[in-house]
Amino acid sequence: MIVTKGLKKIFNSGDVETIALRNVSIEVEQGDFVAVMGPSGCGKTTLLNILGLIDNANAGEYYFKGQEVSTLNDKEKAILRKKNIGFVFQNFNLIDELTVRENIELPLIYLGWKKKDRIKRVNEVIERMEISHRKDLFPVQLSGGQQQRVAVARAVVAKPSLILADEPTGNLDSMHGEEVMNLLNELNKEGTTIVMVTHSRRDASYSRRIIHLFDGQVINENLNKFI
Amino acid sequence: MLSNYFKIGFRILNRQRSYTVLNILGLTIGIAVFVFIYLYVQSEFRYDRIWTDSENIYRVWTEYKLEGKIEKVAISPFRLAGELRENFPEVKESTKLFFTDPSDVNDMSSITYQDEVYEVQNITLSDSGLFRIFDFNFTEGDPRSALTPPNSIVISTTVAKQIFGNKKALGQKLKSTRREYTVTGVFEANPCPTHLNFDAVVSESSLSPESLQHMKNDWFRLGVYTYVKLDDTVNIESFQERINSYILKEIKAFIDSANINVDGYMIYSVEPVRHVHFNTTLAYDSPSNTNPAYLIIFSIIAGFILLTASINYINLAVARSLKRAKEVGMRKVLGAFRRQLVLQYVSEAFIVVLIAFILALALVEFLMPWFNTLVGKNLTLVGTLFSNKGIGFGLLLILMMAILAVVSGMFPAFILSGFNPANVLKGNNFMATIRGKQRITAGGIRKILVVIQYVVSIGMIIATLIIFFQMRFLKNQDLGFDAGNVIVINTPDDTAYFKNAASFIETLQSVQGVEGVSSTSNVPGYTYGKALFYVGDSSKNSLKTLGIFVVDTNFFSVLKIPLVEGKYFNREMENDTTHYYILNEAAVEALNLKHPVGRSFNASFLSKSSGKIIGVVRNFSYSSLHSTVEPLAVLLYPGESRYVLVRMDEYRKDETMAGIQKVWSKYNTGHFMHYTFLENKIRSLYAADRKMLSLFIYFTLFVMFISSLGLYGLSSLLIEQRTKEIAIRKVLGGSDKRIILLLVKDYFRLVLIAGLVASPVVYYLMNKWLNTFSVHIFINGWYFVAGILAMMALALLTVVIRSYHVLRQDPALALKYE
Repeated sequence: MIVTKGLKKIFNSGDVETIALRNVSIEVEQGDFVAVMGPSGCGKTTLLNILGLIDNANAGEYYFKGQEVSTLNDKEKAILRKKNIGFVFQNFNLIDELTVRENIELPLIYLGWKKKDRIKRVNEVIERMEISHRKDLFPVQLSGGQQQRVAVARAVVAKPSLILADEPTGNLDSMHGEEVMNLLNELNKEGTTIVMVTHSRRDASYSRRIIHLFDGQVINENLNKFI
Repeated sequence: MLSNYFKIGFRILNRQRSYTVLNILGLTIGIAVFVFIYLYVQSEFRYDRIWTDSENIYRVWTEYKLEGKIEKVAISPFRLAGELRENFPEVKESTKLFFTDPSDVNDMSSITYQDEVYEVQNITLSDSGLFRIFDFNFTEGDPRSALTPPNSIVISTTVAKQIFGNKKALGQKLKSTRREYTVTGVFEANPCPTHLNFDAVVSESSLSPESLQHMKNDWFRLGVYTYVKLDDTVNIESFQERINSYILKEIKAFIDSANINVDGYMIYSVEPVRHVHFNTTLAYDSPSNTNPAYLIIFSIIAGFILLTASINYINLAVARSLKRAKEVGMRKVLGAFRRQLVLQYVSEAFIVVLIAFILALALVEFLMPWFNTLVGKNLTLVGTLFSNKGIGFGLLLILMMAILAVVSGMFPAFILSGFNPANVLKGNNFMATIRGKQRITAGGIRKILVVIQYVVSIGMIIATLIIFFQMRFLKNQDLGFDAGNVIVINTPDDTAYFKNAASFIETLQSVQGVEGVSSTSNVPGYTYGKALFYVGDSSKNSLKTLGIFVVDTNFFSVLKIPLVEGKYFNREMENDTTHYYILNEAAVEALNLKHPVGRSFNASFLSKSSGKIIGVVRNFSYSSLHSTVEPLAVLLYPGESRYVLVRMDEYRKDETMAGIQKVWSKYNTGHFMHYTFLENKIRSLYAADRKMLSLFIYFTLFVMFISSLGLYGLSSLLIEQRTKEIAIRKVLGGSDKRIILLLVKDYFRLVLIAGLVASPVVYYLMNKWLNTFSVHIFINGWYFVAGILAMMALALLTVVIRSYHVLRQDPALALKYE
């Protein structure tokens, strides 16, 4: 599903040049569950952003479902993204002005779904995530765990084939963290490909494969059963 | 989708209530001022548009050159209207309206009905063409023929109500001091704004055949306004050429037959009646005419005020955008296109603009009486909205709303939607991560916009200062005479009065507190005439046009006009057969006289040629200070004068007035005493300038207030973003003063830049304005320094108020927050 070849990313801040990714080549199969690990600043989030088409690499190739996507323009990327990719962030990134239901509905609005279909689908997801009783609340009225559930619900509502999760349990206590990981695991079992950036070995243990990054390079790639 | 935008827009605005309030307040004031100015300017453009075929109605004005002096006047000869109608088939109708003194609001005529005396203002004479061209609505009588029979009078509904109450006016008899008139028509007063200004019109045929004949013959006697209604196919330029070449022949014949020798020309031009209101270049014209430059200035100011308010919105939205970057980033991640983000922002702006509009219209309606007093009009908002112009006005408001919303919403939307979502979503501290290009762009645009606001504010402060000091300068200006404590009484145009005038004046002199009385036909500040004069015994010597005042012996002493040479008039001269003249310095210079006193001097309109100059007085300002003091000849002729001047003891005004009133009642039974303080009359000459000053002061205050609102909001946001920095500085020992200086430094720089941009523009425009006065202040650097300092002080005050809270806060709190 995902193939990258020699990805390179450089950040310029004034005169200082930081190389975030160097020569990153990875492959992710359809239905896989990959964890990306490494110390802070090693380039995990940068890689995830490039995979999610919200950032561009400076060099290298990126094939998404066989299509070279690094050369697409912003609009084409946006279309590809909203049809195929769901995001889950450490700090949830829910929109404060929207209710739970409206946050979840948003991707469908941008996809141009009809209202009737949207309501049906949002209700399905809300029930699935067990947040029906909170659907009319605003994010600030929810606990961290509940917020992340909403974020996951928003990520899956458009039935994406790929979910990119950036430290999804980073801001949660262990109990809520586990709930979220279970949700992701379930989704993966149903066929959704998941790429997750994490610091937590425990979270990584849910994945089938771990990619280790250090100073922007892939230093080790192993199947989870070997750790 | 759209309702979704609005729903979210409402929630966002509600969440950030203080900014929403700032924005709405600024826009409300901006829009209200705009609407006020729009209504004002629009009402100015409504002058004389109601008449049927008003585009084919023209007024004829005269330019003449006599003895080297060019004059442009709104009046024309009596016989012109008739000549035009008879000799030019393209003239469908013509009429003449007799000139009445528009400079004297106390110029009343007494009308008697059933032994009761009524005072009627603005009575004029005209012919039956008047109501055929200007189709006033008649409630009684036939407009086409009402002015045909001799001794007929047509009155306005106001006058009819004043005299007859609810009775029918048609056919009633009204008496003036000279004749009895029959009411032949009643027209509706004030149908629309018009430069025509009369409350009653007497038929021209009421004049005696001799005086009619006299006026008909004379091509040089300018005393009526001539109006023509032309075929709509007429080419105006060729029409003007043809009438001038025709009239030239007539005038030549007249000059030959009258045996006069003049050097000069007389040209007639026609101007559309709709433009009359905007012509301030002609003498003897309506004083309510407006200089279109003022309208243009006001319109520009309206635009600026709106711009200032809209810049506030943009600036606050851009500054706030850093806070909203996360939301926008997330929307982009979820697949929002730029267009959708822009729409979101525009809908938010639309909500704010819509609320501001509703509030602004309410404010306009509420403040309308105040504004009407300020500008001397009778405008209504509701009236305009529901008039036939209402659709246009409504459409304009909707268009303005759309433009404001789009302009205000577009700007922040484009800046925000350009953010890279990966950057903004990176972590908690997303603001710090957008230090790159976008931040600079947003900051740069914000600075440019703030500079624009400051340019407008500083420019208006400087302009207002200059207008203020010029007005003060005029007020303190030595007029060359003492207008203080002098009242001007209008005398009745009545043979009974003139019979007893001498003893009336004498009795007035004896009233306690009266320091001097003069019976005169001319008073400074009122209309005066011009005449041709010659030095020596024969008019074959060079003729010169000079202004003329006709006065009595006491005129100069009552007004305290100092003598430069020779002597004042005295009592013996009054009964002498010689005409005695006193000239002003300007006249001596114009006539190029080395030793004027004792020289023989005569007016060409007086038959006997035994005039003599007996003195020269210092130049005194006898018309407005907008013009230089022109040459003037003052003739001693204590005949039937129009005014009585009374100088009173400054400390006993009340009792003196009572005494004067008593004497008046004794001598003038049945007549009200209409009087004005000369000082007020002089002040009224600058009424238009003062109106401009007060409008400028208000506009400046509004602009300053709106830009302060913006600055307040903007500095709030910027200080909020710098809370951590401020806290660290405090921890490291920075004093409050230094921190405030740090915060305000940037604004000072912007104020300076704005000052540099505004100054030359203001200098140029204000110099142009000042040059319309014969005496004026000179613009020096202090006005600009003061304007810039005022704006700096305002910026400092705003920032201090705003930063007080942050500075008082415990730094640990701010550092923890980060």
